[in-house]
Amino acid sequence: MSVTSVAGGSGARRRPATRRPSDPAGSRRRSKPLRSRLVPYLFILPNMAIFAVFTLYPAFNGFNISLYSSSNARTFTWVGTDNYARILRDDAFWAVVRNTAVYAVAFVAIAVTVAIAIAVLLQAQRRAKGFYRAVIFVPVLISPVVVGLVWNWVLERKGGLLNSALASVGLGQPGWLIEPNLAMGAIIVVAVWMHAGFYILILLAGLQGIDPVLYEAARMDGASAWVQFRSVTLPMLSPSIVVVVVLATINGFQAYDYIFTLTGGGPVGATTLVVQYIYDSAFRSPIRYGIAAAASALLFITIFTLTLLNWLVGRRREAV
Amino acid sequence: MSRQSVPGPQRVDTDPGRTWTSVTGKLTVTDALRGTLLTALALVVLIPIVWTVLGSFKSTAELSANPPTILPSSWSLTNYTQALTRFEFGTFLRNSVVVMVGATALTLTINSLAAYALAKFNFRGRDALFLLTLATIMIPLQVILIPVYQVIASLGLVNTLWGLIVPAAATPTGVFLLRQYMLSLPDELLEAARIDGAGELRIFWRIVLPLCRPALAVVAIFSMMWRWNDYVWPSIVAQNESVYTLPVALARFSAQEVVPFNLILAMSVVSIVPVVILFLFFQRQIVQGIAATGIK
Repeated sequence: MSVTSVAGGSGARRRPATRRPSDPAGSRRRSKPLRSRLVPYLFILPNMAIFAVFTLYPAFNGFNISLYSSSNARTFTWVGTDNYARILRDDAFWAVVRNTAVYAVAFVAIAVTVAIAIAVLLQAQRRAKGFYRAVIFVPVLISPVVVGLVWNWVLERKGGLLNSALASVGLGQPGWLIEPNLAMGAIIVVAVWMHAGFYILILLAGLQGIDPVLYEAARMDGASAWVQFRSVTLPMLSPSIVVVVVLATINGFQAYDYIFTLTGGGPVGATTLVVQYIYDSAFRSPIRYGIAAAASALLFITIFTLTLLNWLVGRRREAV
Repeated sequence: MSRQSVPGPQRVDTDPGRTWTSVTGKLTVTDALRGTLLTALALVVLIPIVWTVLGSFKSTAELSANPPTILPSSWSLTNYTQALTRFEFGTFLRNSVVVMVGATALTLTINSLAAYALAKFNFRGRDALFLLTLATIMIPLQVILIPVYQVIASLGLVNTLWGLIVPAAATPTGVFLLRQYMLSLPDELLEAARIDGAGELRIFWRIVLPLCRPALAVVAIFSMMWRWNDYVWPSIVAQNESVYTLPVALARFSAQEVVPFNLILAMSVVSIVPVVILFLFFQRQIVQGIAATGIK
């Protein structure tokens, strides 16, 4: 509904101008080139305006804010690189960096391995393949907030679904979200549960692009299933794997929403990752805007560098 | 290029399967093993979700039972009606729908206009603008939360639905997908319309958009899923309960424990159902859309 009204609104404004060429007017030869040169700019304007105001300007301004100190987001005092110096001396920040590094590395490694394994399984499956593919994708559809609160409930120490199941077969009932190491494990596993379906679809598309002749040739050379996987599937799939690694890296460093409802960053900060640190510094008292902005800048540099690295490594592999 | 290779997998998907089964109809050990593994995986995925749906029908007493009961004692919808009447979940639901629909409409409009200019016009600065758009795929909102919030605050959009809708509307991926699709439209078609005296907006509206329906569907579906489930940005903009979306309300209320957990579960199910239905209806488009991001 609002599509038509938006387009209709600007259409009404432009229509007289575009209709004029068909009118018998002498001036059209001069005005038409200018107008047609303007047309693409007008088309691109709404998108670029929103993009500039809400992405580009903030991206530059973010670096700017990181050089100021503010506790209320209205008055700013210039402190230079002091914010950076302060967070780099802050033990809480380093704990968060350590958590994020552990989380991101484990998540990327496990998610990518699991996704490749399941994609290969699914690709070979003949019966009910579409059903399995659909089911495995369902967690991707669920709001991370809901994923977190459902798993929080499932992993509850007393009366939670998992521990009740463990108790019924006579096993111990660990405090999944109470023990710091187990809580870290829990947020990683839940993240894999939530994201793997998306990666699997990308990998499946890649697998379907591999020429079956390659497998036939490998089989004729007497290659075992494992050798086929190592020497045909993996190299042919590497472009898709690079995409998945890039996505997983970005997902890994952005994680926050489902952790908020799963562990709340606890126990005692054991699952507090960098985005929560930024969020809390900026929007929870005591408000430390400059600190949050400096941490954001460092996060951006990390994501940017890793994405570039992934991409370069992927490129080189393709070339070889 | 990516457009041509997208439908491909679908075809490859079904054909070998059929010929294989007809050639070797026998079930081998690997087949059985693989089937078991996939079924186990499907269970790991489904059990927490089914458990949530079951829980959404249980009373608080049933939920606190230890060991838990599997099936609810009754299938009445009291949890659902209570959440909507005694708490303001009706408002949150409406906000979520408004944000999802409004944001998707805005995204489709501005993304397709921009994509058309980038795909079908030659103008100074086009390639630079396109590269700039692509580069910002790497700037997640989490990284610029604070400066974007400042922009929103200075425009007076905090605690408004506009503040939820507008900032992320100019999605770079949407522009990219639509541009790639539009590149494949024949220029002759547009030239013919121009010679017939059609205005540029008319060409866009009457010729380009209808031809891009598959790509528009992909962008629309992803935008809807994303907006419906989004939490981080809405949680910053929506500080008053009157502008909460469903995820914001669920996160806040489950943390504060002001709303009974059985009602939280009922509203979680309400948040899950629409996207799952959307997925079941548009599975093919979604799979192709994801495949397209992978192929790029």
